[in-house]
Amino acid sequence: MTTDVSAISAAALSPNASSGDARSQHRSFRLGDALLGLVCRGSAAIIALMLGALVLVLLTSAMPAIKQFGLGFLVSSEWRVNELERPVKDAAGHVVMEEGEVVMETIKPAFGALPVIYGTAVSSLIALVVAVPLSLGAALFLVRVAPTLRLAGPLSFLIEFLAAIPSLAYGIWGLFVLAPFLQSRVGPAIQATLENVPGLRWLFYETVTIAGKAVERPIPITGRDMLCGSLVLAIMILPIVTSVSRDVLKAVPRTQIEGTLALGATWWQSCVAMLRYGRSGLFGAVMLGLARAAGETMAITMVIGNNNQINPSPFAPAQTMASLLANEFAEASEGLHQASLLYVALVLLVMSLLFNIIARRLVVGRASPAGH
Amino acid sequence: MTATMTQPHPRPEGRPDSRPDIALRAPAATPRGTPASPYPIIDAIKRGETPTPRIHDSVHAESAILTVNNFQLWYGQTKALHGITMPIAKDKVTALIGPSGCGKSTLLRSVNRLNDLIEGVRVEGSIDLHGNSVYARGVDVIGLRKRLGMVFQKPNPFPMSIFENVVYALRIAGERNKKTLAEACEKALRQAALWDEVKDRLKASAMGLSGGQQQRLCIARAIVSEPEVLLLDEPCSALDPIATLRIEELIHEISSRYTVLIVTHNMQQAARVSDYTAFMYLGRLVEYGRTADLFQIPQLRETEDYVTGRFG
Amino acid sequence: MASARFETRRLTSDAMFVVCTACAIVIVTLLLLVSGYLVWIGAGAINLSFFRDIPTGDVANPGGMRHAIEGTVILLALAAAVGVPLGVAAGVYLSEYRHEWLFAGPLRFIADVLTGVPSIVVGILGYELFVVPVARWTSNSVSFSGYAGAAALAFIMIPIVARTTEEMLRLVPRTYREGSLALGASKAQTVLRVVLPSAFGSISTGIMLALARVAGETAPLLFTALGSRLLTRDPSEPFPSLTLQIYTYATGPYPEQKKLAWAGILVLLAILFVVNLLIRLVAARHASTRLGKS
Repeated sequence: MTTDVSAISAAALSPNASSGDARSQHRSFRLGDALLGLVCRGSAAIIALMLGALVLVLLTSAMPAIKQFGLGFLVSSEWRVNELERPVKDAAGHVVMEEGEVVMETIKPAFGALPVIYGTAVSSLIALVVAVPLSLGAALFLVRVAPTLRLAGPLSFLIEFLAAIPSLAYGIWGLFVLAPFLQSRVGPAIQATLENVPGLRWLFYETVTIAGKAVERPIPITGRDMLCGSLVLAIMILPIVTSVSRDVLKAVPRTQIEGTLALGATWWQSCVAMLRYGRSGLFGAVMLGLARAAGETMAITMVIGNNNQINPSPFAPAQTMASLLANEFAEASEGLHQASLLYVALVLLVMSLLFNIIARRLVVGRASPAGH
Repeated sequence: MTATMTQPHPRPEGRPDSRPDIALRAPAATPRGTPASPYPIIDAIKRGETPTPRIHDSVHAESAILTVNNFQLWYGQTKALHGITMPIAKDKVTALIGPSGCGKSTLLRSVNRLNDLIEGVRVEGSIDLHGNSVYARGVDVIGLRKRLGMVFQKPNPFPMSIFENVVYALRIAGERNKKTLAEACEKALRQAALWDEVKDRLKASAMGLSGGQQQRLCIARAIVSEPEVLLLDEPCSALDPIATLRIEELIHEISSRYTVLIVTHNMQQAARVSDYTAFMYLGRLVEYGRTADLFQIPQLRETEDYVTGRFG
Repeated sequence: MASARFETRRLTSDAMFVVCTACAIVIVTLLLLVSGYLVWIGAGAINLSFFRDIPTGDVANPGGMRHAIEGTVILLALAAAVGVPLGVAAGVYLSEYRHEWLFAGPLRFIADVLTGVPSIVVGILGYELFVVPVARWTSNSVSFSGYAGAAALAFIMIPIVARTTEEMLRLVPRTYREGSLALGASKAQTVLRVVLPSAFGSISTGIMLALARVAGETAPLLFTALGSRLLTRDPSEPFPSLTLQIYTYATGPYPEQKKLAWAGILVLLAILFVVNLLIRLVAARHASTRLGKS
């Protein structure tokens, strides 16, 4: 019965066209819709597949290292790519001799991500500490002051453009301008001022074990160190943090500001009210900067010195997860070394995805209701 | 197991059951201190009932092109249309009036099934075009919409040239012949009383037209494929008085060729342009008859007071 | 008493006003200093040979970067050929099929997540997905290729293009869609003839931005395209790119090559500047026509 109705309805509803004509058109519409649906759904599915492939490939390739080291990988600071032969020592630290021969032991390659996690965390944090206050101040200027001076347009363009500059450019600037400057001027100046301040010796000296003895030696100031890496990162994330903060502050309803001003608040007090209103969005901007800094590769590889160690001094070279990958992945032999690098990549992925997700939740979740 | 589950929880002492609560709430539920309203039908509707609409005999005397049969519509959980039954006269102008939220636009958008696009919409009953339900299974919705032109509240020309706007319906139907398109364009624009104003700039963007011109363009676009019914959803609500007047004249002119169903919140407009008027309230049809009758000798007090602006 | 407190408040406010202004000035000066320095040194290093010649192998007279410029153009074209259609189609899905059960929402989230993947990780994925299997397939020891590099770039482009397309399509008024459907257009006709064309300007802006972004990427190419000193047009070979060449020269020991790196950076910056300027102009024109409508 139902099919009867449908059979006549198409033709009956279009009395001007002959029924055969209506049918063929009908079919071509259906075909067009089906095709578009197929193409769009297919492309959408590819996006899902991309994430799936990313996680799956990293997981399977990193599996040997995951199996070998487990979560201990994250807290171990050993990074020995090659097998090592060394004399066995007894409890007193003497080399063990047997039949006139030094007894040797073979130490297997070992991998731990703690130094690079430390490097990533510290360099990103220093970058944030430097960049965030500057960015917030500038964002307030852009929202509250620049429009009255007709500067908002040009300044916004400038900042957007600077946010688009590739990290390679910042890296080269850091390598050829900032690092030499730090090495020749800033480093020595700081050292001269602070070297004799008690309790700050660790800034300029490190203790290493050479031939079984602890030796204190000065850290050579090369300019390519944690400090330089962090500063380059800070400069790199300035534009993005500034522009997102600006958007968040712009989305604060006018009534909020006018309300505080009507109550007799000063300029700064109304700014504080603004910052407080947009705080979760601003936190999102900071997280976005953090994600940028943590995942940044080229610039940091060029200026951080690339030394896989944990040294509290900002004048010591360091290594981040991304720079470790950039430096070692191409040369890594297949096997545990490569698997360990992939493990690092996986940690880096998870970390920056977390930062990104939190950032997006905060920025989007806040800005959209306030945007209207 | 079931027995224990269905067993009522032991009540706290002093409240043996919930009847006292009801007793307390009961007075608040009835209108407090309001005198009996002069609108028994409106009151019944507000209580959720669906009173039988007053449909004048004159309506049934016309031959109907569209018939709405006990049509009901839900947006998710909310029922927006309650059992609407009304015929729409062929080659006449029928106006739907009523306060906002009365469902007049919803009813209009149900005719060409534009409500299908909204998530969670569910319908019951039927709307018949030429006696065939537009909601029957397997209906070619696209073919249906080709037979029903629609003009929206706000002018919505596409961001393309005036010419391309007018012939859009023909293009999507596969018409490629330039001469046919040009002729159809001119004819539609003439019918929409826009030809003289735009004939020299057909290639210009439709976005450059004034609001009133844009709306007439939308009418031209709707009638280019000679639809059987023209659905107008408050077509003048975004226009200034002069542009409104031109559109009303236009509706009057094209009503000789097309069946027009127009939603309006403007009583004068309904009185000026329509042959029949239906008064709706909260998703129900209240009264439906010849426009002159409805405005001058309505059968219900509610209608009379609404069209004279005393209520609503 | 009260007025004294007010006085301090006002002083604080004035001081913070100065601080904020100073922050803006510091940021702008700092960034101008960086880019200005890059442009300044780059301008001194650039010459016709940079665009005309390919590497000579002579470190004192290293030639130019023509191979790398061409390589980048080809890589971008390949990446765009894959990434733009896929990204736009996925964007159409996110916007026009967004009511589809449980897929569209998570998908938007996935696209967002993908835009945050560090580019070095994308490079490693490209290596594992395209370089290693191809090497196994062809039983070569290594199979770095332009195709792998382009795939890595496309991986970065697709989510960006998809999300931009979606955002732009959502700005298309609903009345356009309803108007088209009410005239009897099918969904495909509505999308292809009305919705996409009305957002064409802004979508192409988004695509240009995405291209500009991947044009400056180095990390995804490190383990995929690898770089090359040859003028090659065969993407199944290790492939040159401007950024890779700049990186190699900049971190290498030879001063003449470093000069080339500076010049390369200048070219990159110039491209980005032009793209950003164009986008701004297009956006401004777009905004004015949009306003003219209402």
